[in-house]
Amino acid sequence: MASYPTRYSALALLRKGATRSDWPRAWRHHDLRSSYDVVIVGGGLHGLATAYYLARNHDITSVAVLEKAYIGGGGSGRNTAIVRSNYLTPEGSAFYDRSVRLYEGLTEDLNFNIMFEQRGHMTLAHSDASLRTMRWRAEVNKLGGIDSEVIDPAGVKELAPAIDVSDRPRYPILGALWHPPGGIVRHDAVVWGYARGADVAGAHIHQVTEVTGIDVADGRVTGVQTSRGAVAAPVVINCTAGWSTLIADMAGVKLPITTRPLQAAVTVPVQPFLVPVIVSGTLHVYVSQTARGELVFGASVDPFSSYSSRGSLGFTEGLAGHVLELMPGISKMRLLRQWAGLCDMTPDFGPIIGPTPVAGFYVDVGWGTYGFKAGPVAGEQVAAMVANGTVPRLIASFGLERFEQGRLTAEKGAAAVGH
Amino acid sequence: MSGSRLGVQPGELIDRDRVVRFRWNGAEHHGFAGDTIASALAAGGVEVFSRSFKYRRPRGILTADYHDPNLFVQVGDEPNVRAGHRLLIGGMDVTAQGAWPSLGFDARAANRVVGRFLSPGFYYKTFISPARLRPAYQKILRRFGAGGKIDPTTPPAHAGKRFAHPDVLVAGGGPAGMAAALGASHRGARVMLVEENHHLGGHLLYGGPESEATLAELRALIGADDAIEVLTNAVVTGRYDHNWVGIVVIQGGEEQLVKARAKCLVVAAGKIERPYVFAGNDLPGVMLSSAARRLINLYAVAPGTRAVVATANESGDAALADLERAGVEVAAVADLRKSGSLLVRAKGRGRVAAVELSGGRTIDADLLVTAVGWTTSTSLLNMAGDRPAYDARAARFLPGELPDDVLAAGGVVGDGSIEAIVDHGRVVGFEAGRRALGTRATWQRLTPRAAPAPEVDPEPTVIPRLPAMPHPELFAGPTDGFVDFSEDVKGRDLALAAAEGYDSIELAKRYTTVTMGSIQGKLAGVNAVAVHAAATGATIAATGTTTWRPPYAPITLGALAGVDEDPVRYSPLHDWHMAHGATPIAAGQWIRPDHYGDPAREVRNTRANVGIIDVSPLGKIDLRGRDVPRLLEFVYTNRWDSLAIGGVRYGVMCAEDGVILDDGVTARLEEGRFYMTTTSSGAGRVWNWIDEWLQTAFPTWDVKTTAVTDGYAAMNIAGPRSRELLERVASGVDSSPESFPYMNARIATVAGVAECIVLRIGFTGELSYEVHVPAGYGLHVWEALLAAGSDLGIAPFGLEAQRIMRLEKGHFIVGQDTDGLTKAYTPGLAGLVKIDKPDFSGKPELVWEGEQGAPRRLVAIQPVDGSVVPPEASQIIAGGRTRGRVTSSRMSPTLERSICLAIVDTEHAAAGAELTIRLPDGRDIAATVLEHHAHVDVDGGRVRG
Repeated sequence: MASYPTRYSALALLRKGATRSDWPRAWRHHDLRSSYDVVIVGGGLHGLATAYYLARNHDITSVAVLEKAYIGGGGSGRNTAIVRSNYLTPEGSAFYDRSVRLYEGLTEDLNFNIMFEQRGHMTLAHSDASLRTMRWRAEVNKLGGIDSEVIDPAGVKELAPAIDVSDRPRYPILGALWHPPGGIVRHDAVVWGYARGADVAGAHIHQVTEVTGIDVADGRVTGVQTSRGAVAAPVVINCTAGWSTLIADMAGVKLPITTRPLQAAVTVPVQPFLVPVIVSGTLHVYVSQTARGELVFGASVDPFSSYSSRGSLGFTEGLAGHVLELMPGISKMRLLRQWAGLCDMTPDFGPIIGPTPVAGFYVDVGWGTYGFKAGPVAGEQVAAMVANGTVPRLIASFGLERFEQGRLTAEKGAAAVGH
Repeated sequence: MSGSRLGVQPGELIDRDRVVRFRWNGAEHHGFAGDTIASALAAGGVEVFSRSFKYRRPRGILTADYHDPNLFVQVGDEPNVRAGHRLLIGGMDVTAQGAWPSLGFDARAANRVVGRFLSPGFYYKTFISPARLRPAYQKILRRFGAGGKIDPTTPPAHAGKRFAHPDVLVAGGGPAGMAAALGASHRGARVMLVEENHHLGGHLLYGGPESEATLAELRALIGADDAIEVLTNAVVTGRYDHNWVGIVVIQGGEEQLVKARAKCLVVAAGKIERPYVFAGNDLPGVMLSSAARRLINLYAVAPGTRAVVATANESGDAALADLERAGVEVAAVADLRKSGSLLVRAKGRGRVAAVELSGGRTIDADLLVTAVGWTTSTSLLNMAGDRPAYDARAARFLPGELPDDVLAAGGVVGDGSIEAIVDHGRVVGFEAGRRALGTRATWQRLTPRAAPAPEVDPEPTVIPRLPAMPHPELFAGPTDGFVDFSEDVKGRDLALAAAEGYDSIELAKRYTTVTMGSIQGKLAGVNAVAVHAAATGATIAATGTTTWRPPYAPITLGALAGVDEDPVRYSPLHDWHMAHGATPIAAGQWIRPDHYGDPAREVRNTRANVGIIDVSPLGKIDLRGRDVPRLLEFVYTNRWDSLAIGGVRYGVMCAEDGVILDDGVTARLEEGRFYMTTTSSGAGRVWNWIDEWLQTAFPTWDVKTTAVTDGYAAMNIAGPRSRELLERVASGVDSSPESFPYMNARIATVAGVAECIVLRIGFTGELSYEVHVPAGYGLHVWEALLAAGSDLGIAPFGLEAQRIMRLEKGHFIVGQDTDGLTKAYTPGLAGLVKIDKPDFSGKPELVWEGEQGAPRRLVAIQPVDGSVVPPEASQIIAGGRTRGRVTSSRMSPTLERSICLAIVDTEHAAAGAELTIRLPDGRDIAATVLEHHAHVDVDGGRVRG
């Protein structure tokens, strides 16, 4: 694999600063070729990671990533950047465990500091029922070799002193699932790091290039139509979110997905006071403090289908109420900005990765609220699937055919807010 | 500069008779009532208010108002207070933020020296290896976090919210907004006028004699107009769908959220003066013309002693006149409208000392005032769907298409004399009033008992054109300076970012963090676009803006949260329980008795004699109408059309994916009257579920649903002597097993209370009756039952005893013994799934699962060692893999051994199968699968007796 024209390092920063010379482009502009070996629809984390691993692991470099706007502008830039692997099912936890391991090595692998801070991830239990679910997850995780345990309210207080563990709150904290490897990442950096890595390896990243049609002949995909012209390709991978069903429709593939907004918000920064990522399913909220000092909040998906990426006032009201239940001392912090991202929900909350009835047309979609966490492993596995023509074991349970065979994954059992 | 308070100014807002004392970084200061924190400090000679985020540069007053990026301070326990806006209060403890160890000397200012090495996104390029040191780097980087301090022990500040329903809501109380409010009122509309400053007037407050006269007249008219409500010190934070408008009203450190449904919104937010990008533009002593004018005219503070004025418009000219009038020496004026006249740089260490103009001319000065143009405050319009378009002639973005219920007035739209602005505002308000009344008329016509609909003029008023005046395009000068003061982003940073590939404005924003700071890009936004456009070779118009998102101004979590809390629900018998030794437990929204001391004893007494439990939290729905059987046929998996009057049936509801949603019993009390019970936690969900189907799929069905959960108190008497007890208190019902068999319901008079519903059902595995009585009689009936049963050994039992008994009986609990994938076949309900019915919720999925066989099964298991109770969620393993889990487990007082329910893979579910349970402590124990779910009353003799 080709190497970067300028590797990023502290030394390079000093050299550039001293000579006041410019950095090379992190990724380049290219003319749109009339054909590629692989066309990836969607220039987000999943699409770019797939392009990167196709080149790095499989030497497939005739790859176009087609992005209708700018890279990382969809879910990749709208999520709350939480990474963890303490999933409920053995399949889920094995898959996300691989993702956490990839994230751990990504800064060096991509030569791009993605700022993965493993601050620990804490899921609070406010009832016997949720404590039971936490124990369930901890037991499954332990069997899978994942660092995950149930802690008591004193343990919660020790790790996050701002949390109210008294019996004052409406839903007092009875314990928590504690997952030390979990943490937060600078989400845009992951996108840019993969883009830079894919670019140097030979993939073409085409921004402002919208896919308007998918060509299928005799049950095989033959290429795509775009706002910049037609592109022939024997392999087309749908790596979109929000519009994944519309892209699949272009190939005549129906996906069991409904699209719902998920809202998030960020506060004006304050000095650091919260280290771990805090999640409460009962209160439908998750909170982390970025390195800049902002609190980042997310919630569960909105209860209706929509393609809107605007936030609502009601969301911020409910969010603030719930956050203050957890941390009553921060009522004078101010909400700075709110937004929404689109989540493609499947019937079992599991993703859909794999081939489709149209030969050569693959999907990596249906990521619900988990797409960011899964980006590296999904890219790695999809690349392996396309390169080898077989579905790797790690994603075998996530195929489209499971909805016709009644083999749903069980993550839905993990309750509404899983961050 | 020190002691810079001027003589009395004509429009000053301070009350010189009232001295206010406060502390700044521990030192005593004073100002006057009416001062902002910033104006009082400036009058006291303070020049540096904060240190910048990245380079820790000293920063002073830039805009002297709400949007000043340099004036964020800590006031007591409140971080990020806007010192250019917050009024002084006696005793305030104000400290600078982010300056360590002090404002004067910031050790981290070493960053300035290495600034050239801190190119945009430098942190993405370093701390890459070795990986083991990265956590240490991350800790150091966190030290550089921006903002004030939070004390987690601060008592919560919540204010109740207010709802408002104005016809017209006017955002902005300057001349256009004031006139718009009057225009709308003139039409007959009720108006809410919202102004972020402490006084109405906008720039009229510091505009000289003509402004003063206009302001006085507008104020008098508004003051006399009962239809106009004025909110000052209040910010419209967001415009959401259907003109749902959030407003935050600030009272000192307290904030209140006002939520308004405006029939028409008038945005009169005016223009925000734009800083200029040049070297030294962030030095204390460099400020905008509007800042200088505010300081002099509103607060009687001299902004400097020797000034250079760089002006390209009338605001700069007016500032020049103000400075001269205030006795500030004006050393030079650079008229940037003239070609060749340039502002090159400001020089100085820690504050401005000299200004370099075109031709290398350098003038000593301690004040540099710039007036280079305006940014339209389009944020609210953007939230209403507008995409502002760039007008190169006016050098600013202007509104485009607006929805019918949003109008823009005054400076947002264009420029003009005070008279022209007022006239524009008045007409826009007049038209807004017409549109609002039209909406009000429509609503009132749809509301039978509302007041008569107002007369509405069908003819729209023609709104006069308010053209934007030409203005030179001045964004960045010949040297480089700060584009974003909050984030310390320079012009060169944006150019470098574009050259590195971050060449769309959205990517540039994310990479450099330009516009992402606490003032949300209000000052930096357009300069960033202009500098980015210059770097990429695109036009400003083609580059466009980033999206403005709510809130318009940050709002405290306390104000957003308000005082709303999730309700706590108590049974009408709660006080009795507490008086009789109950240990309470939270169960969803309800507080219930967990036990009265010894759950095992409660179980044994119930199995031997008779027990009584309060089950009031059960969900209860009254269903009436001809088509109720059709509804039940649809929402439950089993048959209902054959249920006779007086019959009760157990049913399971499945979602469309066949997964169990809830369960419960429903009784047919009369021909068209049914009584449904649900799980306690599922009450709301089931009611919504039923109503959703009725409203969307079956709107013509004759079914009326009423949630009566709180309308009835419910108590279950269980045990072999429960029939005897019922006979003693109930009249109008024959309790004999022949005439009141298992799974039947009767309407009876119980303890003198008529219209009680008695259901003979058996969750506990005992002969039992559930008595539902009107809630107000709950305590009476409860006490009557206890009294009547005293010689029968009656004793109350709590939730824990009920959970034990239902587990002994093998009854599952939805949500505990089922999960998000459990379909009806898994808990062995095949007999209740009638796939021959034409349709029911979840049918296709259940047909499928019926054909393929359920992959997992709910089974009763018993550990071989009956003294070990495996904790719930313990895993059932085989070959190192999980094969299921224990869903419920208890020590059975009846059997004196541990008993469980478990979900296991079907291959391990056969009766007699040996299982291995991995306990959380790592030990493995053996257990056996039973043939039936029931551990006790396997043949059903007790419940049916």
